[in-house]
Amino acid sequence: MTAPEGYVAVKRYDEIPEGGIVPFEVDDDERILVKLEGKIYALSGICTHEYAELAEGDLEDHVIYCPLHGSGFDLETGRVTALPATQPLPVYDVQVVDGVVYVSREPRQG
Amino acid sequence: MPGQRSCVILGGGVAAYGAAEALRAAGFDGPVTLVSAEPVVPYDRTTLSKAFLQGQKTAEEILLKPVEHYQGLGIELRLGQRASAVDLDRHELTLEPGERLPFDTLLIATGAEPVRLRLPGFDLPGVRYLRSLADAQALREDLSRAERVLVVGCGFIGAEVAASARTLGKQVTVVDPLPVPLAGPLGEEVGAILAEVHRRHGVELRLGQKVAELRGHRRAEEAVLESGERIACDLVVVGVGVRPAVALFQGSGLQIEDGILVDERCATGVPGVYAAGDVANWWHPAIGRRLRVEHFDNAAQQGAAAARAIAGDPQPYAPVPYFWSDQYDLNLQYAGYPGPWDQVVLRGDPAAPSVTAFYLRQGVVEAVVTINRPRELRPGRRLVEARARVDPAVLADPATDLRALAQAARAAE
Ligand SMILES: Cc1cc2nc3c(=O)[nH]c(=O)nc-3n(C[C@H](O)[C@H](O)[C@H](O)COP(=O)(O)OP(=O)(O)OC[C@H]3O[C@@H](n4cnc5c(N)ncnc54)[C@H](O)[C@@H]3O)c2cc1C
Ligand code: FES
Repeated sequence: MTAPEGYVAVKRYDEIPEGGIVPFEVDDDERILVKLEGKIYALSGICTHEYAELAEGDLEDHVIYCPLHGSGFDLETGRVTALPATQPLPVYDVQVVDGVVYVSREPRQG
Repeated sequence: MPGQRSCVILGGGVAAYGAAEALRAAGFDGPVTLVSAEPVVPYDRTTLSKAFLQGQKTAEEILLKPVEHYQGLGIELRLGQRASAVDLDRHELTLEPGERLPFDTLLIATGAEPVRLRLPGFDLPGVRYLRSLADAQALREDLSRAERVLVVGCGFIGAEVAASARTLGKQVTVVDPLPVPLAGPLGEEVGAILAEVHRRHGVELRLGQKVAELRGHRRAEEAVLESGERIACDLVVVGVGVRPAVALFQGSGLQIEDGILVDERCATGVPGVYAAGDVANWWHPAIGRRLRVEHFDNAAQQGAAAARAIAGDPQPYAPVPYFWSDQYDLNLQYAGYPGPWDQVVLRGDPAAPSVTAFYLRQGVVEAVVTINRPRELRPGRRLVEARARVDPAVLADPATDLRALAQAARAAE
């Protein structure tokens, strides 16, 4: 199975635990996968406030919280739901094909 | 929806920023003006004692949003303009030097100001306070030339400035009348852990001691403690607390008592006038008492809550207060209700330090602090939110899964 155009294979769907945050890299770029209620989300792995790895963060009600100062980002859109971050978190498109999770190389626009 | 009614946001801190965003997000389409005594758009004040002071960030980099963002929201900026008088009957502010600015609704977000020490010698040059970007720029400049820094007061500002000055290689002495840093908000157990961290980083702590006076010819050159000890210094930074910035509103008809009194919807007793952030003393419906909080997250969220009330969608404002402090590579986070507790339960390793502290009152978890243990903050916060009663032995037990505990508490709520 080859990756869809513009996507990279990251992990098997079954390897990601429900409610889990799994770090991965694309071209040295740190990102995370989140599985919530069976759905997979892909986001940048670094908080947009200062430097913190969101893989160490926490999930609550479809928001991922930064471990350092509590910035919140909407899993679906990357929108800031809690300061101090004011820049949205880049989010990536996800496709699951034959049990494999593929993530877009480029962030989703807008 | 109140149509073309106008709103003036008085203040240029994060409460004002949160309000500006939330007004438009809530569909408020009337004219909005943000008036700030500071010559810049709202910025992240919390970095002034940390990354900014250490020279790791520029003034540009700490802006919450650039100027254009406010233009995009259709918000008029009046920067570098201080309000010098207010007439709530006529719904009018006077801006220095004399211009009148009318409003239909007013959000007071004037924040807080440092308490000035009135002891002998504290009017000498070389004595600094830290609240605004301008203060931080001046302090950064002084720090670049200083070798021996005296920090008066070991609250959050004092502790963070001490950490930044040490990080820059300065000799640092901190004087505070309390036996450990931050004893008031965090208690002796956690304060002792922080004291050890500062000692390990080479800060000279003079705890349980008071400064009697400063001496010097043209600048502050030495401090004399009440004990008689003399400490040589070429820069003094004072962090002895802040006061809500209410001077403008004395005698205006608003109720003032440790801040401007507002209800759970951020409204004062005068129709159309609201307050939020460090200046606001509000009725917290979930705990049934008044609170005034001097932290970033509350200011941002309360500003937004007040804006929604102004836009016609008032909701009770009942957060679990939250804040952080970074000192050296230590990250401290707090979630909970300030106030008296009768037991502190520690979990983890105080020496590392990697600790979570729970503050209990009559068995109820009132607050949680994590030091270098961020993953326990949100589960701890959920326990606070659920007003959970948990056996202290269970909290302290490293085998306890806090997440599961928090989930159970939430379900039981
Ligand atoms: C150095 C420092 C470090 C901090 N670190 C942290 C931290 O790590 N974590 C944390 O949670 N909190 C921290 N805080 C606290 C946090 O910054 C404040 O709680 C927050 O800034 C409060 O926001 P505010 O908008 O209510 O008030 P402020 O930020 O104080 O803003 C008030 C604004 O109103 C303006 N103003 C006042 N009077 C007038 C007038 N008459 N006319 C026009 N304008 C007026 C002021 O110039 C100012 O722009 C820190 C504070 C300082 C000073
Ligand atoms: S680094 Fe994420 S909130 Fe500060």
